[in-house]
Amino acid sequence: MKDLKHLIYFENLLQQANNELIAEAKKKGGIAVAYTCENVPEPLLNLGKCFSIRLHAPQTGSMDIATYYMTNLLCEPSRALLERAIEGGYNFADCVITPDGCTMINRCVENMELLKTMGQDNPNFFHEYMEIAFKNTPADYDLSVLQCTNHILKPLQEHYGVDISDKAIRKAVEKHNKLVKVIREIGEFRKGDKPRITGYEFHVLCLATYVCPVDLIMKKLEETLEELKTREPDEKDWRCKILLVGSEVDDSSFIKLIEDNGAMVACDRFCFGSYPGRTEIVLNDEEDALTQVCRHYIQNCQCPRMMNQEKVYSRKQYVADLAAEYDVDGIIYQQVKFCDPWAYERMLGSSMLIHDYGYPVLSIDRPYNASSSAGQLRTRVQAFVESIEIKKIQRGGTK
Amino acid sequence: MSNMKTVEVVYNTRERAGEKSPGKIYSEKLKVRRRREWRGLKDTLFDYSRWCYLMFGVLGKFILNPRNVKGFLRYRWMMSYLFVPHGMDKFTIGLRDEALRITHYAMNYVIADVTQAIHNCFRGDRRVGNDVAYSEKCCITDENSMVPFVMGFDKEKMHTILREVPTMFASNIFHQFNVMHYLDVAQQNGIPGDVCPMPEAEAGVSMDDDFCVLGACAVQNNTTCDGSLMGNGIIAKRLEKQYGIPTYQLATPLRHQEEDVIDYAVEQIKGAIAFIEEHTGEKWEWPVYFEAARRVNVATRCRNAQLEINSTPYPQFFGAVFSLYNDTNYMGNAGRDPYFEVLDKKLLKLAEQGYKEKRMYAKEYRHRAIVWGVQPQYVIDMLYWMVQCWGVVPLVDMLSVINKDMIAETDTPENREQAFRDMAMLNMQMIMRNHTHGGYKVLVDELWDLCEKMNADVVMMWEHMSCKALNGMHGMFEEQGRERGIHIMWVNHDLCDPRVFTRSAIRDQVNRYMRTVMREEPLDPSLEHIPDDEAY
Repeated sequence: MKDLKHLIYFENLLQQANNELIAEAKKKGGIAVAYTCENVPEPLLNLGKCFSIRLHAPQTGSMDIATYYMTNLLCEPSRALLERAIEGGYNFADCVITPDGCTMINRCVENMELLKTMGQDNPNFFHEYMEIAFKNTPADYDLSVLQCTNHILKPLQEHYGVDISDKAIRKAVEKHNKLVKVIREIGEFRKGDKPRITGYEFHVLCLATYVCPVDLIMKKLEETLEELKTREPDEKDWRCKILLVGSEVDDSSFIKLIEDNGAMVACDRFCFGSYPGRTEIVLNDEEDALTQVCRHYIQNCQCPRMMNQEKVYSRKQYVADLAAEYDVDGIIYQQVKFCDPWAYERMLGSSMLIHDYGYPVLSIDRPYNASSSAGQLRTRVQAFVESIEIKKIQRGGTK
Repeated sequence: MSNMKTVEVVYNTRERAGEKSPGKIYSEKLKVRRRREWRGLKDTLFDYSRWCYLMFGVLGKFILNPRNVKGFLRYRWMMSYLFVPHGMDKFTIGLRDEALRITHYAMNYVIADVTQAIHNCFRGDRRVGNDVAYSEKCCITDENSMVPFVMGFDKEKMHTILREVPTMFASNIFHQFNVMHYLDVAQQNGIPGDVCPMPEAEAGVSMDDDFCVLGACAVQNNTTCDGSLMGNGIIAKRLEKQYGIPTYQLATPLRHQEEDVIDYAVEQIKGAIAFIEEHTGEKWEWPVYFEAARRVNVATRCRNAQLEINSTPYPQFFGAVFSLYNDTNYMGNAGRDPYFEVLDKKLLKLAEQGYKEKRMYAKEYRHRAIVWGVQPQYVIDMLYWMVQCWGVVPLVDMLSVINKDMIAETDTPENREQAFRDMAMLNMQMIMRNHTHGGYKVLVDELWDLCEKMNADVVMMWEHMSCKALNGMHGMFEEQGRERGIHIMWVNHDLCDPRVFTRSAIRDQVNRYMRTVMREEPLDPSLEHIPDDEAY
């Protein structure tokens, strides 16, 4: 396929956490609200002049200092983020809002706070920690509303004078929905026998929506969407199509590695992917926007730490539904090494998707930076692709 | 070293009766010790009488029931309980006088409590006793679960079964290799080896279908960590899908120091109570609750008093037994068993007597240590060894630093509302999670406050290698300990998997620190290297 016009531009934005658009947005008076977990309602971080930036650590190499602070037994994302913070990579942040979601990321941010890695020149800088709902019940919606009020809205208002009115929230949701619409439409081009966008390209675009000020990339995203409508797909057939499920994937080369082996990543269901992160928030006029946003996040949450059994089972159903919708041949359940929630979810999910839903599943753990274990990962993916092909042949199909 | 805090060495003016070098009774060839420890006539007789009580009064009585024999043959983990008398001896190494009595009375009752739990499990178990009427009045819950949500149910009518305690938690104390099989099962099924082995082993037991199957319902709790929360999903799947036992997930907020989570925690407690009422048909009774609350307060007062004694130069009740006793009383009992009140007072009386008499566990106390982190199940005698071998007295461990406040104990309309807040508070601040969750202040800052209050110069830091909440603050402990002049003695372990760190590998970390950093010689050289890696 012909290269996407803006792909290199987006790829470059992902090369560093403090990318050029953040500087541009701050120059215009924007407030950079850094966060670390998909469970934080993103539109609330995009009120008024605020823009949300999800912390990530591209090009991670050595994590020695973070390893000293947190040992080598914590997941690599948590150590990579801390290392980057110590290096000064997040000095753009005007505040950090973190849920006590998974323990390791929470500890990572606590270390950032104790080491005073950010906000030295900003007297308004603050850290906030939130409790996150565990279940999908009205009590959880109430908890979420209270937590968002106390740990997002009020601090933003007190420290930066941000408008936290219902009207402002609705406006942020509108902006969020606009983004969702574009990303989801782009993602639709992954469907069918002749997809017009690869999983890698889509991942680059989708990740950029989390780590860049959205206002500043919208135009190029829209142009990319238009470009895709007329893009000529490749003639070559993919050996198979897969759905990627699991922990956050900040390293697009991991997707590339999978696709280099002939398996197209037709759908993404991982932390900070398009499912469920890029889902439209439908608001009505009868109820306040905050409650509706909180409810949306809980109802759509696919995080493994949601503990009620309905959620536990529905997470697998959600994966199966996506697999059917995107017509994939197999599923890769992956986790970053030492991630406890996804370690268990991967085990149960892969077992249920094989036995209850009949999908071939590859279950793997991996480093944060895929290149540090590329050979092993490649071998696992190659074997999986071959096994899918053999199954197809055994069923009487063709490659 | 010059900036490091020091404490005054306390010398024992009394000669220890009986055995002077208890290290000699360990054997490389045997899985138990060569012989019992000679403690002088009076203490040996006492010790032996308690051994007889355990053998015949608790275990003998248990095994005389044919149902229990059937259960013994059905469940792999029951093998651990063959070694209970040997396990009890682990706690009494070198002990004399009040310390010996405190340890026996406390630990014997913990053992009796676990024995009763097994008995109850077998009674209702569909594969063993299959007492359906009994089972329909049972609610099963997690090993690490705090149980205030059953404080208002009459325990004679609605039975709370902590079925993971005898299966995994306690059995690992008595037989160090017992859990390995279940870890292997879990890992064969795809759970990685880097998660906490405790919930992993519990998930392994469930995968192996080796839990007793009983109960009208189950209540699960996100107790101590992401692993325990996640393991529940696997266990609940078998309970619900295979055995038709409905489960309630009691979601307990993590940021327990924040006022804005209380309402949610209260709702969760109310939900659990309603769920149990619905499935067992038993009703919550406020008089029962407030009586249990009164006993919780007695336990809290006694525990606070024990800690006061431990801040003096003559601490009396400490080590693994203090921790296990609190675990059983504070978490598993929560005021429901009246005998704990009697025992609490008895233990306090003994401790006060010991303090008055200036009784000591060893011939010198060179260092005063706070024990932080989570103790390994399979080296449960470590703290007794540490004081005997090196004169490092473990004043208190993290698992015993729990609620110090009184809860409402009088039945009034206002207190009934307050009761839910109290239950929520107790539940959120259950053992371990009250420090491992809730932000760094309860884990790091509280430690230094405790060092100050108890005049400690050493922190013996259990670094359970799969405990992410603890490990995540490793550097902070190091740096802040250095700033305060507190020795941080890191001791790595893997909680219940002796293949990762053997017992001697764990003790050697202390030996190395004492020799190379403290430049000291052991108080009792016979204990420095003891050959018990293969022992039960």
